[in-house]
Amino acid sequence: MLSRRSLVVAGTGARLLLADPAPIIVTIVLPVLFGAFLLPSSRAQLRQSGIANATGAEHLVPGLAVLFAFLGVSLVGTLFFREHAWGTWDRLRASSASTADIFVGKLLPLYACLLAQLAVVFTAGAVMFGYRVTGSLLALAVVLALFVAVLVAFGAMLAAVFRTMDQAIVIGNVGGMAMAGLGGALAPASTLPAWAQAAAHASPAYWTLDAIEDITLHRAGLADVTTPLAVLAGFLVLFSAVAVARFRAEDTKVGTT
Amino acid sequence: MLEIRDLTKAYGDHRVLLGVDLDVGAGEIVGLLGPNGAGKTTLISIAAGLRRPDRGSVRIAGRDAMRHRPLTARLIGLAPQDLGIYPTLTVRQNLMFFARLAGLGPSVARRQVDSTAEAFDLADRLNHRAETLSGGQKRRLHTAMAVIHRPKLVFLDEPTVGADVASRAGILDVVRQLAAEGAAVVYTTHYLTELEQLGAAIAVLHAGRIAVRAPLPEVIARFGAAGVALRFAGEVPHLPGWRVDGARLVPEETVADPVAAAAQALAALGARAGGLAGVEIVRPSLESAYLAITGQPGVAQTEEVVDALAA
Ligand SMILES: Nc1ncnc2c1ncn2[C@@H]1O[C@H](COP(=O)(O)OP(=O)(O)OP(=O)(O)O)[C@@H](O)[C@H]1O
Ligand SMILES: [Mg+2]
Repeated sequence: MLSRRSLVVAGTGARLLLADPAPIIVTIVLPVLFGAFLLPSSRAQLRQSGIANATGAEHLVPGLAVLFAFLGVSLVGTLFFREHAWGTWDRLRASSASTADIFVGKLLPLYACLLAQLAVVFTAGAVMFGYRVTGSLLALAVVLALFVAVLVAFGAMLAAVFRTMDQAIVIGNVGGMAMAGLGGALAPASTLPAWAQAAAHASPAYWTLDAIEDITLHRAGLADVTTPLAVLAGFLVLFSAVAVARFRAEDTKVGTT
Repeated sequence: MLEIRDLTKAYGDHRVLLGVDLDVGAGEIVGLLGPNGAGKTTLISIAAGLRRPDRGSVRIAGRDAMRHRPLTARLIGLAPQDLGIYPTLTVRQNLMFFARLAGLGPSVARRQVDSTAEAFDLADRLNHRAETLSGGQKRRLHTAMAVIHRPKLVFLDEPTVGADVASRAGILDVVRQLAAEGAAVVYTTHYLTELEQLGAAIAVLHAGRIAVRAPLPEVIARFGAAGVALRFAGEVPHLPGWRVDGARLVPEETVADPVAAAAQALAALGARAGGLAGVEIVRPSLESAYLAITGQPGVAQTEEVVDALAA
């Protein structure tokens, strides 16, 4: 899987991300900023729903982290479309790197970035808003690692399906926000209207936040969150399969730099 | 090194290549010529493995290029027609990336980056972001990235577009050197004099096929039609074997040596050549040959005009 050439592609991919870090920084700064605004209302909401000494961070920190992580979906698309705009896509393909090398190499740095972004947001949540976990930190890490993999696969699917960068970004952002909102990132899924709760099951965000809630409030360990993990793995397989099935390396894509 | 057989390619129902055969040997430079839209870039894309042909085969170093892809890709260096560089990376990072992608180890890659930057006159720009280069410098970087790993088969699709006189000479030097080291080079350009400077063999892609594939002198000798015309002020005299074309007298059949033909005509005309205003001569050249092959004769520029009145 990790051939030497995919690591070479990944090294340059990381440089390209760092050369233009604004989008990644936004996904870190915004949740922290929103957290400061929204903490009191989240606290009131949690206490009303029966969690006596809630600080508000129990739902707010994972909710905002997941919400803004969805911005990463359009970054995945950008990875590919920019290569077309720069004229480097064909050069990559003409090199001795295989399509798999290119895919793995391009996705790996972004995956690491998005995971780091979640780690920073959760850490900031602990330091600034008093976010605490009653269950297993390992379980939390596994859930987040799988969630980010689902996001990256979703982005890769959009990049494979759409012909222009604008289409992929719009669908990525709108779809991402809808999934996050339905999944309970804005308000706990249990407070949503009945139809929305039913639809929420189709959102990876729902299963992610469901698992995190158990880990945060109900002392859950890895063994207690196998159902959401299995569903997330299902999303990962589904999105990856569509991406691979629809991807044509020789397609002309329209990207802007 | 490169053997292309019976290559056919259509985009939808627009048939571009109708059975192209082309061989390029090690150490050989082949200038691939053809009008805009002839299919040069399409042909190169297929040979470099970027597109699938509808029919036909590409063999590189004796191996089927489509079946032995990773192996043959390592032998190839491609500079596409459209600029392809990473603007936010430095010149060094751009070069290093493609050196490493081609499988060079870190220290060999570093040496190659330095020597290639030197050859393309980019040494003092190595640590600048590519987006800060001028258009011609970007073009040079773009071409340098294709040859950084000293490939055995090089495709350069209009590498000198936008390069100034000195850069162009530099790029031609590198191409000659690659060939001298045994690389097979496919070189497209619309500047025909570059091929004369490279001593390239000529392949003309016309109407979906390679119309001519021969060494440069042979192409000129076979197709480089010469032309001559005697221009008169006032009445144009009659002369056997010549016809009147407006104010000019032109031979009825093509001539091999336009200067000798003009001299003979003037001698035959004698005193009747008094109204002569000028002599136009087109020497056989790659340009006149190319235009004859692609069916656009007569567009060739008059290379010499001797004004009789001034002489
Ligand atoms: N991706 C494509 N889809 C549809 N038609 C294409 C595509 N690429 C090229 N063509 C068509 O194929 C023909 C050959 O194009 P190609 O770019 O190979 O020509 P060329 O000889 O390189 O021309 P130029 O000298 O202008 O670079 C053109 O008529 C062009 O319109
Ligand atoms: Mg072309």
